[in-house]
Amino acid sequence: MASTVRTGSSPSWWTFIQRRKTRNYIFASLFVLPAVINFLIFRYVPIVWAARASTWQYSLLGGYQNWIGADQYLHALQDPILLKSLQVTFTYVIVKLPLEMVLALALALFTNQAMRGMGTLRTIIFTPVVMSMVVVSVVWALIFNADSGLLNALLRMVGLPKQIFLSNPHLALPSIITTTLWKDIGFSTILIVAGLKGIPGQFYEAAVIDGANRWHLFRHITLPLFRRTLFFVIVTQTIFSFQVFIPVYSMTQGGPLDSTKVLVYYIYQLGFRFQDMGYAATVSMILLVILLLISLIQIRLLRSNVEY
Amino acid sequence: MTAATQSRRSRPSLRHIIGSIFTILAYVLLVLLFMTPLMWMIGSSLRPSPEVFQYVFPLSWRTFVPIQFTLHNFFDIFGLSQEGHDLGFQFGRALLNTAFVSSAVVSSSLIFNTMAAYFFARLDFPRKNWLLVFVLGTFFLPEQATIVPLYIVVRQLGFANTYWALILPWYASPFVIFVLSQFFQEIPKELDEAAIIDGASLLGVLRHVIVPNARVGLLTVSLLEFQFIWNLFFWPLIAVGKKELQVIQVAVATQITQREIAWGRIFAGSVVASLPVILLFLALQRYFVEGVALSGLKG
Amino acid sequence: MNQRFRKNQTWMLVVALATILGLVLAACQPAAPAAPAAPAAESGAAAAAPAAKEPVVLKFLKLNDPVEAIAYAKIEDEFRKIDGGKWSYVSIDYDTVSFRDLFPKIETSVAAGVELDLIQADGPDMKHYAWNKVLRPLDDYFTAEEKAAFAPQSIEEGSYKGVFYGPPLMQSCSLMWYNKEMTDAAGIQPPKDLADSWTMDEALAAWQKTTVDSDGDGTPDVWGVRCGQGTWTGDYEHGILRRSAGEKGSPTYAGMAPDGVTFQGYFDTPEAIGAMQFYQDMHQTYKVTPIEPIPNIFQSKKAAFVIYPDNIIGDINNQYPDGNFQLGVTGIPYFKTQLCHTGSWHYGISANTKHFDEALAFVKFASGKEGSRIYYEALRQLPARLDLLNELPEYNTYPQSLVKQGFEKFGIPRIQTPGYTEYQQVFAEVAQNIAAGADVAQQMHDGAKQIEQLLAKYKGWNE
Repeated sequence: MASTVRTGSSPSWWTFIQRRKTRNYIFASLFVLPAVINFLIFRYVPIVWAARASTWQYSLLGGYQNWIGADQYLHALQDPILLKSLQVTFTYVIVKLPLEMVLALALALFTNQAMRGMGTLRTIIFTPVVMSMVVVSVVWALIFNADSGLLNALLRMVGLPKQIFLSNPHLALPSIITTTLWKDIGFSTILIVAGLKGIPGQFYEAAVIDGANRWHLFRHITLPLFRRTLFFVIVTQTIFSFQVFIPVYSMTQGGPLDSTKVLVYYIYQLGFRFQDMGYAATVSMILLVILLLISLIQIRLLRSNVEY
Repeated sequence: MTAATQSRRSRPSLRHIIGSIFTILAYVLLVLLFMTPLMWMIGSSLRPSPEVFQYVFPLSWRTFVPIQFTLHNFFDIFGLSQEGHDLGFQFGRALLNTAFVSSAVVSSSLIFNTMAAYFFARLDFPRKNWLLVFVLGTFFLPEQATIVPLYIVVRQLGFANTYWALILPWYASPFVIFVLSQFFQEIPKELDEAAIIDGASLLGVLRHVIVPNARVGLLTVSLLEFQFIWNLFFWPLIAVGKKELQVIQVAVATQITQREIAWGRIFAGSVVASLPVILLFLALQRYFVEGVALSGLKG
Repeated sequence: MNQRFRKNQTWMLVVALATILGLVLAACQPAAPAAPAAPAAESGAAAAAPAAKEPVVLKFLKLNDPVEAIAYAKIEDEFRKIDGGKWSYVSIDYDTVSFRDLFPKIETSVAAGVELDLIQADGPDMKHYAWNKVLRPLDDYFTAEEKAAFAPQSIEEGSYKGVFYGPPLMQSCSLMWYNKEMTDAAGIQPPKDLADSWTMDEALAAWQKTTVDSDGDGTPDVWGVRCGQGTWTGDYEHGILRRSAGEKGSPTYAGMAPDGVTFQGYFDTPEAIGAMQFYQDMHQTYKVTPIEPIPNIFQSKKAAFVIYPDNIIGDINNQYPDGNFQLGVTGIPYFKTQLCHTGSWHYGISANTKHFDEALAFVKFASGKEGSRIYYEALRQLPARLDLLNELPEYNTYPQSLVKQGFEKFGIPRIQTPGYTEYQQVFAEVAQNIAAGADVAQQMHDGAKQIEQLLAKYKGWNE
């Protein structure tokens, strides 16, 4: 990087570096500019709109009526249904996510073996991911059917008493979790498999020659190199899990006794059924803040600098 | 090769046998677990509507195998039968629409998302982390809250009720950028430096180093994004009203009318709606395997 | 290195600018005018009359229903012929949505300021639309005589504070339908005369007799009854129970205070609670109906009785074209007062329409004698026009005669309040919780309170 002295309005050595860096930055920014424009227009404008709507008494059909301001948030904090909804959603995420990670990891490792038929198995596990969630929910609602669903038929075959799932305040949420786990596991598994395949094969070979067994291989090679994949799967799946909606909409409608009334379902109900889009926006903003905090915490905790 | 390994190879130990049995059992269980609902769907699509729920319980072979086998549902939804034609069903058109829109989104994604991911993975920029949070933050708000303002925006920009309404909001995606940037970061920086020494520009590095080495990752996210757009329901419902622009999930939902729910046709529609993406995945399977070979050969 | 860098930089700049430009251009393009997939009839009619005026296209946001689409194609055709082709320059663009999503789409369209002309509005929601000024009042455009042609229930449903907002497409009334094979097998003869209709207790006995559990595993192979369409819990069918537990004119029967926003003392009276307790017992104690609804249960011959509006006739005909289903109908069972909920869809003209005259003309024709007849012939559902109804011979013979009689004798509209949408949501949850076994009294009391909270904003609407 030789320095060049310019004539005329002569910038110092420092300013020249500055300018070149600026040029680099501008050039770099062009790579991300189209995406940023998309986000500004199609994602941030709606967020700003929702933030504004959250301070108004606003309904879709009636428009903006009264400005309420922060009172709508105060009302939210005292809303027993919202508190219940938060509880339900957190329970859902705290149970589903670790379960999904562990099972997806297990499945990814299982199907990553160089055996015949594993590719087919991966496709089969992935199939629910591409099916419509509405159809999946209908099918699983029938599997969970209290009187003659498939699950109860199996239970009775092994001599256990039949259970009530979707109409049972205690089992409704676990049933929803099972359904979404079944549908989503392929998604996570595929991402993890892609990550696993990025680990160069010769690491494994070298370790095997050194006498490592399966567990050693996993602990000391797979897991460390793979943390990055795990990291982004966890972060993104957390965000998605917090936004679960369709299975609740199709199978339980938030019940029974609000035991499956997840946040997004409550938001939908408020905005489209209870004619209170302003309050729905308030709850959405609260969800946004929650997700922001959780993602920041996760990024802090799970960030790893992995070098080969 | 030592004597120990030699004997290990010629006589499978008990451990190996148990391992194989376990593997086979697990395999079969997994197949059953994941295939059963799909099998039921396919079976239901091949029966007339009243029969669909007749044999669900008690559970028997009849639950999956149609008693009155018929392809009528499929003919109906494609408008090939008299009834389907009279009722104006155009599933073929919906399939084409969805395929077009999904492909367009994936194509633009491959360009714009890759560029942006490259930016986050490699390029220098002040406050880059803030930008990352900005990107991530865009999918913190659920669809239910953003659909109305997004619709207003799309209307103001003048492309509501067109194909653009189904493509433009997704030509870049925060999730894809985030995932891709993680994949890109896996690639050793030495390769970059080697290419730069050979005279490559930043764009050249992207083209010749990053993309070939992240093939598996790119393929994965492309597939995931394809199926995401393919399965969209609520947004196309609101943003597009013309029958000619109808996408597949909306087309399936049209079988639910106030007077009847045509279950046979719904399942036929669902089968047709699911099959293309599954086949796509099947076709791309081998590239996943190829990815392993490539990374193994690298020095 | 510098030079190549600069060249690439310019190149990148050009690419980025070109992309942005391209996107902006694409976005600004007018909506792609795709070839209309309209039925052949429409193009034929358009070619006929000479267009003296500029063509007008009315946007009609309505239910997705292929049979309705056929009906409207014909109605449009005839509409363009009336008055010597006066309206031949008008055509209709249908934006159809499935039933469950129609209301959200209407809401979103209104919120986004989309210019609609015609809306297919659910009867009980008419007051809600009117309160929000989404619809244009049509009182001045219908004479008293024209209004009298419709059933009084329709006028009440289609009006807000006495002002008429839109004529009906059709009417409905729920009765109890049954599978004759199953009732014969159980040795039951449901009364064919409405005057002999069963009480709830008598009906319960019949349901118990027709619940069949052949293998004794505790799960019926055939259920006694299913209350309602589809698998959802709606006020349309389930709300009948709580109202029928009151004498005519009592708060329980009214279901709601005249002010339209008070529910305590009307929704949760001891009688109503008793009715809902019976509802719970149907599921939990007597087990004559499944707690978790099975789709298509009656049509799949897995239930003997069903409480359903008259559109079941068409549904059965569709699913059993060779007539392998013996359908019978009897009066709807009751606690103290027999009643069925009436009401169906209405035409609404959007308040921000730019083509009011054309829209009005179409609405008047479609709901007029001729339009209603075309509609009826396609849909075969209870017409709302009394003149048409009285002309149809099929409504004088069993089973449809019972539909007509029931409608005239004891058909009342659902509770009339601008807050019907909110009310319905809460009631659906309450009913589901009760069916699942929750404490009935508590659910009803809490429900009444919640409804009042949600409807507080409508206070004073009809003063």
